[in-house]
Amino acid sequence: MIKANQTASPLTRRQVLKGGSALGLGAMALRLSPAWAAPWGQTAAYPQGTEQGPNVSLAIRRESFPVAGQSARPISINGTSPGPLVRLREGQDAVLRVTNLLEEPTSIHWHGLILPPEMDGVPGVSFAGIAPGETFTYRFPVRQNGTYWYHSHSGLQEQLGHAGPLIIDAAEPEPFRYDREHVLLLTDWSFEDPATIFHNLKIGEGYYNFQERTVADFFADVERHGFADTAAQRAMWADMRMSSRDIADVTGSTYTYLMNGQSPSQNWTALFKPGETQRLRVINGSAMTYFDVRIPGLTMTVVAADGQPIQPVPVEEFRIGVAETYDVLVTPEANTAYTLFAESMDRSGYASGTLAPRLGMTAPIPVRRQIADRGMEAMGAHAGMDMSGMSDMQGMDHSAMQGMDNAKMPGMDHSAMQGMDHAKMPGMDHSTMQGMDHAKMPGMDHSSMQGMDRGHMADAASGRTDGMLPVGVAQPGSRLDQPGIGIDPGERRVLVYRDLKALRPWPDRRPPGRELELHLTGNMERYMWSFDGKKFSEVTGPIHFEKDERLRLILVNDTMMEHPIHLHGMWMELENGAGELIPRKHTLNVKPGERLSALITADAEGSWAFHCHLLYHMDAGMFRVVKVA
Amino acid sequence: MRNTLLVAMFSLASTTALAGAGHGSDGSRAADHTAIDRTLSFEAGDMWFTPGKLAIAPGETVKFEITNSGTLEHEFVIGDNDEQAAHREMMRDMASGGGHDMSADHHGGGHDDAGNMPAVTIPPGETATLVWTAPHDVEEVEFACNIPGHYEAGMSGDIQIEG
Repeated sequence: MIKANQTASPLTRRQVLKGGSALGLGAMALRLSPAWAAPWGQTAAYPQGTEQGPNVSLAIRRESFPVAGQSARPISINGTSPGPLVRLREGQDAVLRVTNLLEEPTSIHWHGLILPPEMDGVPGVSFAGIAPGETFTYRFPVRQNGTYWYHSHSGLQEQLGHAGPLIIDAAEPEPFRYDREHVLLLTDWSFEDPATIFHNLKIGEGYYNFQERTVADFFADVERHGFADTAAQRAMWADMRMSSRDIADVTGSTYTYLMNGQSPSQNWTALFKPGETQRLRVINGSAMTYFDVRIPGLTMTVVAADGQPIQPVPVEEFRIGVAETYDVLVTPEANTAYTLFAESMDRSGYASGTLAPRLGMTAPIPVRRQIADRGMEAMGAHAGMDMSGMSDMQGMDHSAMQGMDNAKMPGMDHSAMQGMDHAKMPGMDHSTMQGMDHAKMPGMDHSSMQGMDRGHMADAASGRTDGMLPVGVAQPGSRLDQPGIGIDPGERRVLVYRDLKALRPWPDRRPPGRELELHLTGNMERYMWSFDGKKFSEVTGPIHFEKDERLRLILVNDTMMEHPIHLHGMWMELENGAGELIPRKHTLNVKPGERLSALITADAEGSWAFHCHLLYHMDAGMFRVVKVA
Repeated sequence: MRNTLLVAMFSLASTTALAGAGHGSDGSRAADHTAIDRTLSFEAGDMWFTPGKLAIAPGETVKFEITNSGTLEHEFVIGDNDEQAAHREMMRDMASGGGHDMSADHHGGGHDDAGNMPAVTIPPGETATLVWTAPHDVEEVEFACNIPGHYEAGMSGDIQIEG
């Protein structure tokens, strides 16, 4: 732990790195990085280092070797961390033998794959886990294609690099063309022990947000790091005007962000020939970090989301939630270098690499943006959630709401917010809210809001009598046309969920037979995260899906943070307004205050994990078992 | 004189294509008063054209018959690289303004609003025609579908003007 504290500052670490590179430590790290991260990509000259299916053996070890040029003890898979690229082919029957050489149980979950429940790799749900010294053989038919990933589903092992890319080559031609492909696996590495990070979060959420730290902390830091380093570090965070407390709970103050296992100064490089179209398979394999990805000078055409093909969308930037994948095409024409830039959502750091015609080239690193004001955004979201269902309320004066004291809001206890008296919002014009039941307004709290007759609201919009919205329509309160906090949509074209459209309808076109509403809940101060206010340890049984039923899952985010919600075993068809062409995903980012829905065909009998994919949120209890029977 | 010769040559070469043509309705503007030297049938899918390269003689008048075998609407536009890029930019701007849904409102089948560029849109499952005479003053033009993202995903090809 003492060792970990000494390395917790990104500034000093980068200084060390610069020195390290000069001494050739960078090259040492390069040797240990996965072979699939070879500069010429996969389809060309360097297929070695890929574990090609259908028969694959993977050995899990804890090893001492450098990460970001600094000594570390990651978990390795076949000798690299992150692990090798597992490459399967649609139509194969995969046989994946995983041998546990750790001193504790482990597991591998094949993220996004549709497979039998006992092959899903979640200890306590799918199977017992893999005991030390044992080998577990996963066998499943591969009946899909695209870009996915795999990772440990045991404790906090994923944070130690126990993850890797998983690609399934398509049996039929895909709906796009490219000349070369590269995998971009984004991860967040910490030299602190994951259990220490979790402990720190439990002690006080905000531990990794320097904004929250006190004078006492400062002197403690001086004692540990010396005055110069501490002062420089504080100055840096002050310069950035960090107030990221509510944007991410684990930040660049402990994380080094990696692209294919390499830090920005190690500069992982993907090579291209001018005029060639490159397929970049971008995977967010981090424990806690959302990234905003762009390549200054190039337009990226998004052609797949979560492994599933979509109608192509040209963008300049996209946000990738934890556990999501996006496939993008770029066609660099110039004989020059481009920066592959993945800025963390809280702006506390970035992963980066270079797309270049030859090795050794670099392009400028973009200036990092300033952190956004979460309080403002979350409040807007909250108002949106409450009221957008009532279409008559358009006369409400939102600008007046923005006149509220936002400065005080980031620290606001969310549970207190739920009791907030909307009637006290200064400047809000109640008289124009024609459709609203004014009798309920005084003292209105969120619990009574949720008890409102949503069915009635839906009827007004759709004319349906069963109280449900038509298939594919976005929920009132969704913000699917917004890229999210910290992004100025006017600055460049940014991907939003509403852009995602399937090429053709998915097979099950039944309307949902019922709706299931789940609230994403949390208490930030105590670092408790849950569904419907109950931690996993507090719930009595699983969520039941009836075998073969078609249902609508409605997710309502009552917290002030994004949550990437992942359902195992079945697709979620995100109702983003695309009608029959709604996209299907394995992980849905739900913004603060947002309400969104997905259609699910419950065709996968068995028990499945359902959870927030922020590692420490899942560990804290934002996890449920879904039982299909 | 050279043209006459070419017409004769291509008539011989493309008997099958001609035989298959002319039964359906011909939506092209120029069709009524331009002699068609040859009919070229090809396919637009999600997201490709096949064949991807065509060779046409200067001055030759060609009727393109493009069948959309995909599930999405496509367009077929002829122009040089700069014109195509400009058209693409325009299409993208329109898309971002209107909720990104190009397909229904803007096109709606038939003639494409691609400025001065020869263009036609093809709804899924249908065949559209476009009559075009290859110019004498350029050696190569590009054909493309500029519905946002389609070009980038692979919907383009080259026409070599030679002969």
